Amino acid sequence: MAINKEQKIKMFKTMSRIRTFEDKLQKIYRDGKLDGHLHTSHGQEAVAVGVMEALSDKDIIFSNHRGHGHFLARGTSPRNIIAECYGKVTGTNKGRSGSMYLVDTKRGMPVASGIVGGNICVATGSALASSIKKDNAVTISFFGDGATNIGFFHESLNMASLWNLPIVYICENNQYGEATKREEHQKIEKISDRASAYSMPGFTVDGTDLMAVYEAVKKVVDKAREEGGPALLECVVYRLRGHSAGDVGPYRPKKEEEEWNTKYDPIKKFKEELLEQKILDNQVVEKIEEEIEKEIEEAVNFALDSEAPLAETVSKYVYREEEDNE
Amino acid sequence: MSKCMYVEALRMALREEMHRDKKVFVMGEDITRYGFGANRGLVDEFGAERVRNTPISEAAIIGSAVGAALRGMRPVAEIMFVDFIMIGMDQIVNQGAKMSYLANGELSVPMVIRAPEGTEWFGGGAQHSQTLHSIFMNIPGIKIVIPSDPYDAKGLLKSAIRDDNPVLFFEHKQLYTQKGEVPEEDYTIPLGKASIKREGEDITVVATSWMVKHSLEVAEELKNEISIEVIDPRTLVPLDKTTIINSVKKTGKLLVVDESPVNGGVQGEIISAIMEESFWNMEFPPKRIGSLNTPIPFSEYLEKEVIPTKEKIKKEILNIVSS
Repeated sequence: MAINKEQKIKMFKTMSRIRTFEDKLQKIYRDGKLDGHLHTSHGQEAVAVGVMEALSDKDIIFSNHRGHGHFLARGTSPRNIIAECYGKVTGTNKGRSGSMYLVDTKRGMPVASGIVGGNICVATGSALASSIKKDNAVTISFFGDGATNIGFFHESLNMASLWNLPIVYICENNQYGEATKREEHQKIEKISDRASAYSMPGFTVDGTDLMAVYEAVKKVVDKAREEGGPALLECVVYRLRGHSAGDVGPYRPKKEEEEWNTKYDPIKKFKEELLEQKILDNQVVEKIEEEIEKEIEEAVNFALDSEAPLAETVSKYVYREEEDNE
Repeated sequence: MSKCMYVEALRMALREEMHRDKKVFVMGEDITRYGFGANRGLVDEFGAERVRNTPISEAAIIGSAVGAALRGMRPVAEIMFVDFIMIGMDQIVNQGAKMSYLANGELSVPMVIRAPEGTEWFGGGAQHSQTLHSIFMNIPGIKIVIPSDPYDAKGLLKSAIRDDNPVLFFEHKQLYTQKGEVPEEDYTIPLGKASIKREGEDITVVATSWMVKHSLEVAEELKNEISIEVIDPRTLVPLDKTTIINSVKKTGKLLVVDESPVNGGVQGEIISAIMEESFWNMEFPPKRIGSLNTPIPFSEYLEKEVIPTKEKIKKEILNIVSS
């Protein structure tokens, strides 16, 4: 299914929203106004947006510690995520998560994992449930290049392949596992090659090319839905910022950073495409950017104005009890 | 009512719950053809979709149980030996146990993980004989069930399956062949309710799992000299403190027996919890028996030095009561 003009504009807006959102949050952390862990997804926006566009409402998405983009692209409000980072009761998790373990059950997004690769098995179980229930939902499991060296990844791909589960494993290969360059943590050239070890299709796509991501995801998701069976999709991106908010990446060659920032920034690339196709002009782009700037500014104010969670609620829902179902 | 083995009682519970609720399914390594046999025969009745042999992948077994449970299923995963649960530890501790809390009750993980533990010359040695349930008491968000006889095994497993939380269900290997009366009809035993296995006046012995049998035998042997009350908490989380406190207030003496190592273990936790309420009722310091802080050695001659035995329990009871 081809993407129409309106969809393209919407997708551009979503990518810009993610970028502005994370720029703003990063600044707040760096200014020392917020504490905690903050992993931004600068450079990976086309993956989040391309993937979500290819999914249906009933699909289930397991995100990770670098997950703001996934949630924003699925439709979670920036207000609730920022409020979560401020530990407020209006946050996605009412202040129990911070940036790393976001949740949005209304949008099919269970708790994200702060353990690298930690929820790949859990996502596989979600696909197992779909396979038993025959509910036609596809599960997406997001993780980075670093997670492809952990046992969870291998145990899960084997199980999903064996049981023909409807799941798409999406590796956002941002070329760094924390401060370690990918070449120093694994010898394989393409992460998607690992799919062959589990007799499942594996693809590598330019993760900075929004339309390419969308098309690749659409293909594997549709197949998973119709025929069952997993796939591994590697999206090659570059982590345009440090591992976390305070990290300025002294271990990375400046030249490498500059090259990716200028040539492979997914938002710049898509903007140029839209300008070229005359879907957008500079004036409209400016207006969009201003609107988003305002939206994020308001989201921060919403978070600041929100109430703190009440102390007496601190141990609620450690366990789910029967009355919670009523 | 008929007499059946502990392992058969477990199978009855699984079978009844699978009939009762289509969301219940079982999985684990070789569950249809090998191992201790709680799932044996279920595949003929329910098919391979709901009775799944898995690869040797404990993280994926436990993690996928978490994921299936998040999506409304009620998986009962078997870990062949509790020692292997450590491979899936992250999936229990960092994933399963945290979901409800992080999602403010909007998500739940109604799964059961069954695992055989313990020894008494089972011959498994250091990596196939451990008793690990104590470790999990330190993790908020999971419930711990540890039945000591066939009747409790059936009723508690049914409750565990119907519970909306991750439940770890520990079965002592020596118990599997023990026989007891088990009703054929449906019944459940609530989690968090201890069972007074024998009433007595002189000393309270809190024992778990296989240690209940030892303690009951000692109580019978000493019945002409000492009146021993034996309490089985049956679930460690939640823990029924009230039943134990009431008993200790009556006897003024407390011995806690559990097969896990004493260091940082359940014995100390139970004693602390009870002493906070009944310290002034005590006539003798509370005592605990567990394994030495030593791995389980293979040799039969060495193993009994490490684990709690009937003789050790008897000796300690006599020590407390005669002092």
